[in-house]
Amino acid sequence: MNRRAAYAVAVAAVVLILGAVLSPGFASWPGLRAVLIVASFTGFVAAGQMLVVLVGGIDLSIPWVLNAAAIVLTTTGLGLADRLPLALALAVGAGLLAGLVNGLGVAWLGVPAVVMTLGMNGVLQGLTLGVSQGLTCGDCGHYAPQPLRDLFAGTVPAALLVWLGAALFVTVLLTLTTFGRRVYATGANPRAAYLSGVGVKGVTVALYTLSGGFAALAGIMLVGYGGQASLGLGDPYLFESIAAVVVGGVSILGGRGTYVGVIAGSLTLVAVTTVLRAQQVPEYGRLMIYGLVILAILFAYGRERAHD
Amino acid sequence: MRDLQDRLGYLVLAATALAYFTVYTTSLGRPPGSFDYLAILNTTMPLVLVALGQSLVVLTGGIDLSVGGVVSLCVAITAATGGAPGWIFAVVLLGGLCGLVNGLVVAYGRIAPILTTLATLSVYTGAALWVLPVPGGSIAPEVRAVLSNPNVPTGLGWLALAVAGWWVLRRTRFGMRVYAVGSDETSARAVGVPVERVKAKVYALSGLCSAAAAVFYVATTTAGDANAGAPFILTSIASVVVGGVAFTGGKGSAMGAVAGAVALTLVIDVLFFAGIDPLYQSLFQGLFLVVAVLLGTGAALLARRRAA
Repeated sequence: MNRRAAYAVAVAAVVLILGAVLSPGFASWPGLRAVLIVASFTGFVAAGQMLVVLVGGIDLSIPWVLNAAAIVLTTTGLGLADRLPLALALAVGAGLLAGLVNGLGVAWLGVPAVVMTLGMNGVLQGLTLGVSQGLTCGDCGHYAPQPLRDLFAGTVPAALLVWLGAALFVTVLLTLTTFGRRVYATGANPRAAYLSGVGVKGVTVALYTLSGGFAALAGIMLVGYGGQASLGLGDPYLFESIAAVVVGGVSILGGRGTYVGVIAGSLTLVAVTTVLRAQQVPEYGRLMIYGLVILAILFAYGRERAHD
Repeated sequence: MRDLQDRLGYLVLAATALAYFTVYTTSLGRPPGSFDYLAILNTTMPLVLVALGQSLVVLTGGIDLSVGGVVSLCVAITAATGGAPGWIFAVVLLGGLCGLVNGLVVAYGRIAPILTTLATLSVYTGAALWVLPVPGGSIAPEVRAVLSNPNVPTGLGWLALAVAGWWVLRRTRFGMRVYAVGSDETSARAVGVPVERVKAKVYALSGLCSAAAAVFYVATTTAGDANAGAPFILTSIASVVVGGVAFTGGKGSAMGAVAGAVALTLVIDVLFFAGIDPLYQSLFQGLFLVVAVLLGTGAALLARRRAA
């Protein structure tokens, strides 16, 4: 774990302790459980965002990849448990496909990541709204199948185990495989990586594809949590995913960062909002303090090196 | 062929204008009249101004996500005060100040532009919500008559002023320095360009442009909303991209971004008159964005092949 990730964990700890002091019930398991569940959604999208940021890219298509996957899930699952496997496969497949197209556009066509993913976001938004006709169809049953909702039941909800699984997957992928080495090499210096035999384009495509998959996973989990899919479900996660990645100590320039830090970053962001809500700070205050907290954290460990 | 990429914005605008003219005429049986042109002018002015500011920032190799927050805050104040002349002056000043804060943090705080402006976006949006908790407010009829008169094309004068401003700016020492910083920051520093001051000024100008856009927005819609600025984040970036300004900085012109902004607004009209379901609108906007950029890179590739 690098120094920035350690800072991120420390910040998360401080925010959580502060929350426990400020609002009673925050430190209890039900309170912590609620924070962890909400943080897991940020954690999923931030996993994908981190992967592309590691190679100096960015994924702005997360909101509507997430939303499209959620709609695909509910409209093919129809709320029936026996259709769930098919619905899950289609939803994840849609996310992976969107990510693949992003990756191909960025790596092979040379479209800047901001443009490619912004365009993809628009395309998926239009498709989702158009095909679902704005969710005006009343008998389509935009509901989550029961097994998916059960993920959020119990004292230790299975949803948190899914997050743990995702965390292990990302961490093992990045630290124990040659693919992971290639990712960091590409992020640190794509030219040097290319010259030493790393398939930079292939790595890039794989990472964008994974990001699409993680956005879809977040959409699926949100459907299970809320019981149904809605339009605009993913909108808050565009900037939140970037913020979680950076608060988690990942360099926006690429090449440095770990998922442990990003988990801490997700927890910090969600805990700040939860504490402010518990203190009954109005929305405008929450937004301003949220921004100032991010700015303060950036000043603490998100600065770039001096030029001289 | 290199010129083609530089003039991408104008070419895209010409193509879109042609499409607009054709679709309008075939669908209504008469060519668009002065009323239609005036409506386009008045609805496009806010985006034109935001895109102008955004392009200055992108020319230095940065990005300004906080335009959404600055527009929201300035819309809120303008609408809440009814747009008295003194208040409009204060609003424009405040916009510049908000931008200056971004610039100082980016230049002297050495925090990546995308992260700085992400954090301040939240702060400024919160402030907007504090000023105007519920949509509403008003604008003095005199202001409306001067800025976006529904009968006289007063907007043309302001558009000309913005164009002239850029035309002068790019010929000043500051204008040259903007390009120098964007092309190669290290070299610019080496030849004595005060990189930090240039960056701070560029963000301040972007804030100023967003504030002016906000005043136009309230004058056109005659009311305010604390979330009015949010759509401008992505549309201003899209305008800059379609206008052929390179995200790596140093290449392109603010006029291209202005052309891009008008083209993006026209696309919506084209879709409307072509009878396309508005739910699919963002699908076509997304495709338009990616295709425009692909045309640009394709032209650059051809030029390189021909030169080789």
